[in-house]
Amino acid sequence: MKRTAIDTGLLEEVVGGLPRDAFTASREAALARFRERGFPTTREEDWKYTNLAPVVEVSNRWLRQAAAGELPPPALSPAGRERAEAVMRGIDAHWIVIGNGIVERDSLAPLAGLPGVAAAASPAAPEPALAGSALPAGDALSLFNTALLREALAIRLAPGTVLEKPLGLLVVDDAPHGQSLSLPRITVEAGANARASVVEVHVSAGAHEQFANALVDVVVAAGGALRWLRLQQRALGHYQVGRLRVRLARDASFEHAGIDLGGGLVRNDVAVEIGEPGAAVSLHGLYLAGGRQHVDNHTRVDHLVGPARSTEEYRGILTDRARGVFNGKAVVHPGADGTDARQANHNLLLSAEAEVDTKPELEIYADEVKCSHGATVGQLDENALFYLRTRGLSHHEAVQALTLAFARVVVSHCPVAEACAHLERAVEARLEELAVAVPAERVPDGSATAGARP
Amino acid sequence: MEPLLEIRDLKAEVDGREILTGVNLTVNPGEVHAIMGPNGSGKSTLAQVLAGREDYAVTGGSVRYCGRDLLGLEPEERARIGIFLGFQYPVEIPGVNNVYLLKAALNAKREAEGKPPVDAFEFLKLAREKVAMLDMDQSLLNRGVNEGFSGGEKKRNEILQMAMLEPKLAILDETDSGLDIDALKSVANGVNALRSPERAIVLVTHYQRLLGYSEPDYVHVLHGGRILRSGDKNLALELEEKGYDWVREAATA
Repeated sequence: MKRTAIDTGLLEEVVGGLPRDAFTASREAALARFRERGFPTTREEDWKYTNLAPVVEVSNRWLRQAAAGELPPPALSPAGRERAEAVMRGIDAHWIVIGNGIVERDSLAPLAGLPGVAAAASPAAPEPALAGSALPAGDALSLFNTALLREALAIRLAPGTVLEKPLGLLVVDDAPHGQSLSLPRITVEAGANARASVVEVHVSAGAHEQFANALVDVVVAAGGALRWLRLQQRALGHYQVGRLRVRLARDASFEHAGIDLGGGLVRNDVAVEIGEPGAAVSLHGLYLAGGRQHVDNHTRVDHLVGPARSTEEYRGILTDRARGVFNGKAVVHPGADGTDARQANHNLLLSAEAEVDTKPELEIYADEVKCSHGATVGQLDENALFYLRTRGLSHHEAVQALTLAFARVVVSHCPVAEACAHLERAVEARLEELAVAVPAERVPDGSATAGARP
Repeated sequence: MEPLLEIRDLKAEVDGREILTGVNLTVNPGEVHAIMGPNGSGKSTLAQVLAGREDYAVTGGSVRYCGRDLLGLEPEERARIGIFLGFQYPVEIPGVNNVYLLKAALNAKREAEGKPPVDAFEFLKLAREKVAMLDMDQSLLNRGVNEGFSGGEKKRNEILQMAMLEPKLAILDETDSGLDIDALKSVANGVNALRSPERAIVLVTHYQRLLGYSEPDYVHVLHGGRILRSGDKNLALELEEKGYDWVREAATA
């Protein structure tokens, strides 16, 4: 087997060559820890189905370029700019543009005029927003991100702030000169009783290979409410990993939907900590994949105390040789009585070669709880297809209608009203692409595994 | 006059088992035919084969519709040239809106006929009228197709689709089964409203019940995958009285 690992010698050289700033100590600490472990391999349970070898190759190539000083400034190309502007035209929001990993200062400036909002992108030591929490920290991809950290975007909403229009985080990468690594780092803190919506969109352009490794940390203080849509529409050859960590205080709520329509290799880790009673979190996810796309969603909700509620539903539609992975874990800690945790993952396979590995997990250490979980993997209903065709819809139209109906369960939970129309159009367009590839003859049983631990 | 439907010696099988063993039937415009027969006689198979179900392999014979070979056409092509199958068990399709389906179906047919898409306002007005005619709840229009519908609502919904699409040939598979008297009358109203000199209706049914409200011109008894006996409406009454064994015995005698 080909040995693939990050070239730590090169990494050290690149990290050492970065200008000294407030991040220097964090970078060096992260580098030291990263050297000990490297990127995860499929031998680790959490990465059993997702092989990062292609990501490692892109990263090493980037490190070689960076070490040789061949990386020009990361300004967006016209193609990347147009991609970004199309999104901004589609969704009305206060957009902050993060182009090739760097926050565009022009886009940040208007936020200063919003009462109760503080937004800064700076090479300042990242605030320990999640210090003291039990949320996962120090995983290899986060360390890699931190070792190369140049700047972080921090957004704070003062207590009681209510934002009318959503905040937009537009991550656009186009690797104009083969600069292929993008490391966005974002922190959003909502003060007590603050209310806001966030729409986070990831797009990419350009023929060069790309790897984005995004870290987003969210804190919602007592009584605060954040609604958050993440829409990922990268080019099919581009790779993305992302980690979202959320900490909820008393009576705080967090409604999230993560939609993956693009990307060749995608891995999302979502971790939510309910540390005080009365909090509510809902996580919805949708992944639509064809070709050889690989989309992996790992979620974890820790109920440290009760009463609190978590609901989760992820849905996937896969065709060609695409592969989906779902691993959702809800942990109800000792004493977290009054917890209500629900979790579901449903998958539709449109071809015999598509595959999904799904594993919803519950770990319950408290007594007074309501918990449920389930997973399904199925094909399109032949009776429904025939029924629609006898009404005059073509096979293609019938497939589209049925897949859209399946996806709509998640789309209808779009947490950000201003983005719903854009989201629906994007999902419809992607389904139309996927439906083209669906053969008219019957699909034999696809390979699928579904495991659930009681 | 050219027959609307001409079935000659039609044979079909599923999983290697022959279900239709040689069906002959001619349906002319303006006629209403009833196809009766005991369970397992091949009634539903015949209806499904005519609509283009791929589960059944046609092993012999021919079906011509308006003079063209029907068996080479896809289910949607058959629908667009005016064939409608009312399902014995209408499929529930959560998430696909009932109005969306009606409109998509109507527009698919109009496109095939070289007509522009239906005007949204006119369409909704027409749909509401038909819903009222069938004594259906207007809210059913905005539900998922057959989603959570009662048995009677599902059958009315089939008739609603038929009424909107105005097919040349409607094949109603056991549309009367499991209906209470009110629903049966609604369904019969829908069927009677469609009767016209240009159209034909084939009622596939187990019982004589519906035929009392929608009187057929011809009654055929299907048994063992072929038509054993044909007659007028009185044959249905005779069957009701004497049972299907009578036909079988008469045929083998």
